[in-house]
Amino acid sequence: MIPFDFEYFHPSTVQMAVDLFQNLQRQGKRPMYYAGGTEIITFARVNSIQPGAVIDLKSIPECNVLAMQKDILVIGACVTLSALSEADPFPLLSAAAQGVADQTSRNKITLGGNISGKIHYREAVLPLLLANSRMVIAGTQGIRVTSIHKVFNQQMRLTSGEFLVQVLIDRDDVSLPFAYFKKREIGHVGYPLVTVAALRKNDEMRTAFSGVCAFPFRSAAIEQVLNDSSLPITARIERATGKLPASLLDNVEGSAAYREFVLKQTMADAVHRLERR
Amino acid sequence: MHAKIAFSPHAHAKIKSIDTSRAWRIPGVKAVITGAYYPVLTGSPLADRPPIAMDKVRYYGEPVALVVAEEEYIAEMAALQIQVDYEVLPVVLSPSEALQTGAPLIHEHLAAYEISEQAYPEPGTNIANRTRIRKGNMEEGWRNSEHIVTVQVRLPQSDHAAMEVRCSIAEILPGGKVNIHSASQSPYVIQKDISRYFHIPLHEVTVHTPLVGGSYGGKSAVQLEYLAYLASLAVGGRAVKLVNSRELDMVSSPVHIGLESTIKLGCTREGKIMAAEILHLFDGGAYSDRGAIMSRAGATDCTGPYRIDNVQCDSLCMYTNHPYSTSFRGFGHPELTFAMERAMDRMADRLNMDPLVLRYMNAIGPGDTTPTQTLLNRSNIGDLRTCITKLKTLIDWNDRPRAEINGHLIKATGICCFWKNSNTPTNAGAGAMIKFNPDGSIHLLCGAVEIGQGTRTALTQILAERFRMDDRKIQIRMDIETDKDPELWKTVASRSTFLVGNAILQAAEDAIMQLKNMASIVLQCPPADLDVGGGRVFRKTRPELGVAIEQIANGYTFPNGNTIGSQVIGRGSYTMRNITLLDPITGRGNTGPEWTVGAQAVEVELNTRDYTYRIVKAATVIDAGRVINPGFARAQVTGGMSMGLSLASREAFRFNPNGAILNRQFRTYKLIRYGEQPEYFVDFVETPHLEAPYGLRGIGEHGLIGMSAALANSLSAAAGVELNQLPLTPEMIWRTMHDSV
Repeated sequence: MIPFDFEYFHPSTVQMAVDLFQNLQRQGKRPMYYAGGTEIITFARVNSIQPGAVIDLKSIPECNVLAMQKDILVIGACVTLSALSEADPFPLLSAAAQGVADQTSRNKITLGGNISGKIHYREAVLPLLLANSRMVIAGTQGIRVTSIHKVFNQQMRLTSGEFLVQVLIDRDDVSLPFAYFKKREIGHVGYPLVTVAALRKNDEMRTAFSGVCAFPFRSAAIEQVLNDSSLPITARIERATGKLPASLLDNVEGSAAYREFVLKQTMADAVHRLERR
Repeated sequence: MHAKIAFSPHAHAKIKSIDTSRAWRIPGVKAVITGAYYPVLTGSPLADRPPIAMDKVRYYGEPVALVVAEEEYIAEMAALQIQVDYEVLPVVLSPSEALQTGAPLIHEHLAAYEISEQAYPEPGTNIANRTRIRKGNMEEGWRNSEHIVTVQVRLPQSDHAAMEVRCSIAEILPGGKVNIHSASQSPYVIQKDISRYFHIPLHEVTVHTPLVGGSYGGKSAVQLEYLAYLASLAVGGRAVKLVNSRELDMVSSPVHIGLESTIKLGCTREGKIMAAEILHLFDGGAYSDRGAIMSRAGATDCTGPYRIDNVQCDSLCMYTNHPYSTSFRGFGHPELTFAMERAMDRMADRLNMDPLVLRYMNAIGPGDTTPTQTLLNRSNIGDLRTCITKLKTLIDWNDRPRAEINGHLIKATGICCFWKNSNTPTNAGAGAMIKFNPDGSIHLLCGAVEIGQGTRTALTQILAERFRMDDRKIQIRMDIETDKDPELWKTVASRSTFLVGNAILQAAEDAIMQLKNMASIVLQCPPADLDVGGGRVFRKTRPELGVAIEQIANGYTFPNGNTIGSQVIGRGSYTMRNITLLDPITGRGNTGPEWTVGAQAVEVELNTRDYTYRIVKAATVIDAGRVINPGFARAQVTGGMSMGLSLASREAFRFNPNGAILNRQFRTYKLIRYGEQPEYFVDFVETPHLEAPYGLRGIGEHGLIGMSAALANSLSAAAGVELNQLPLTPEMIWRTMHDSV
């Protein structure tokens, strides 16, 4: 039950969506873009958000693309996680997508929604951070394409009225060797205690994390330490743990101390999996 | 119309004032009421709970106001606009804290509460009920004990997690008649309580229950029904519907009770248990409800199914600032069993003895007495030793090492035994009626609520068996209407098939007598010479001479048109026999008709690197007395095991330091999911209970009872540490390992 009235819009082009947002905002309606809607429902039914209007992006053709165009994998922001793992154009991304929520929810949750949401974990972003993907963003100034590292820092940093249209990934990056581990409190459905995504390119290992801190991240400092083959694995992991960008998360899924234990073990698993022997 | 609850965000606070004006201003709002609208205290055995908080709130989620509106979303919108000015009070967040001298008092006027069943609250403390067991001579017991072990366990409160949330509709007709529709296990209790608290003649209250979407004890409490009634009253009797959101269903409506317990066991060098001293502190939450009676069950069956001659137990239902608790599958037994069975395993370790042998040696049986000093015989207790022997075979117990190590994986099996009696009121009973149709088919009327357990199928089978007829010719409705269906106390305690089954057999006897009397005229012989079966009444000595039931079910018409007799209607009823109240000093008394017993096992594979584990097998051998429907019996026992493993491995409410619940959704409150289930094994022993239909014993709850203990025993064996706290998450195991280093 959503206990407030709101207006619903269903634009069919990028421009219409952007214009609608501007108009609704001018009218004081506090509009929100959405795709799958699961997170809007989650927060609205407990009254922690009250948008006066929502703009459904699912009918915008560019947002539904899922194709290899020349040497670039293009994924529309409104492609659902289950469609993504079904088509499997980027196996690491499929692994991340399949770990989110449950099948019924993944049929609704979209790539863009997962990345742009407010819930801590947003694991679909991890492979995109590792693949140095680019993001196609629409706003009042038109379309811009930018590196994920310029717009994703703990969360999506978009200016008001902007939305994510597509994600672009180089063909070379989709088939790199990878490791993906999601550790939960218990069971095979639920938020992570620790998720580690790792990818190897040119003998360098890249790693990104969710569940460890209150936001997903990829850290150059951690990668530098983990790739330092002059050190034994245990020392690398010890040092990497010291370079976390924020304090360890402590919540109902697990305490900070236990998370640290699980993190170290999972990093070791990832290094072990990807390191050339 | 629709009603919605405004609930307290504080676990303990004085209500200084409530401003409902903003809610009233929303178009479509028809009524806003608070506790002052109808001040009343409800609850059994202790009337300690206002349906809407008055003066103070005692748990997070407690209703503080109710809004009635034309649309559900308007009611919800308005409920969010209720402004309450609270003065926050210090919170009590565990039963042991609640017991400490100087702990904040949760109920200041405990002495004034009305008591409707046996309960002993202690005013000036947070003790809602204390049950005392004093059996034998403790000094002698300890003197004869070579080995003594002490174990402390802790089990958190958790959710019933029925698929269907609680919901209720109330309507007050212009003539004063009240109709309540509710997804409930207790339609007849709702009827009495609405009558009692709102001063309406009993016959003016009708309660309807549909096929209920799961309940597990949680829908035996009367809660939403009071609110729905008050909501209807506030809008001039219009029908008002009140449906819990999942979040409120988890924390505002009553929950599964928690326990902190200390148990001290003494035994001889050979392994004979000589003494048990037990202190149970049940976490009853903010109001006592059936928690008071569950704490009594924790005392009366405190030893588990073992003969112990010297027993001292104090079982306390403690008030805390947690959600209040009510019946949960097993009714105090999963909790007491966890304490006792962890102590049994500790003792087996101490003695360096096979834990199943220790249990076999001490198994209670005919000639022994229970903690409440009831003498056992071949009927009132099942055969535990045969259950243990069958379990051994079922899990290949003798042929395997206690722990099998394979790299960082360790497989181990934990076992446990259980027993359960029903702890019903002394007057719990049921009625049944069978109506014959002109074609010889039957309508069966009774008050057992179908909550997914299959009781109405089993009851139909009992009747079909008695008439030796095709069960497809017996009709039974899925819903209950209290003005049509004969009463059943409540559909709880694995007692429906026993109570209603006995009533049905009596109704069948009544109908058979009528059929025989009629047939004796048609067949011209004494009724005693006749038998009934296969849709006919016939002579015992010459079965070919008989008359079809359809010819006499509505009277018999002679070829000349003369008619004798009339419709055959059988009636029967049954009330528990020989149940007594307990002596307040010693606990002596009889709490129920029989004990179902059983033995269970769980095999796990523990990963010693990260303490995750896989549940490989779960097994139950239960003395069912007589299995009525093998498919349902297996399903009930397996369902119980699944629920027990979920509870043991992951279910718990998590609180912040102020007593707010942090996981009131299934995304953070974990349940076992399909795909995680182990291989299940179920087997039965059949030792008839002579007072029961065809000798059956209750089996509805029992698969659950020992799962926590068996899982903890298996994981303790695998990890090599004592795991005495639930839930058994990998983090809990890690922390126990960590702390013990």
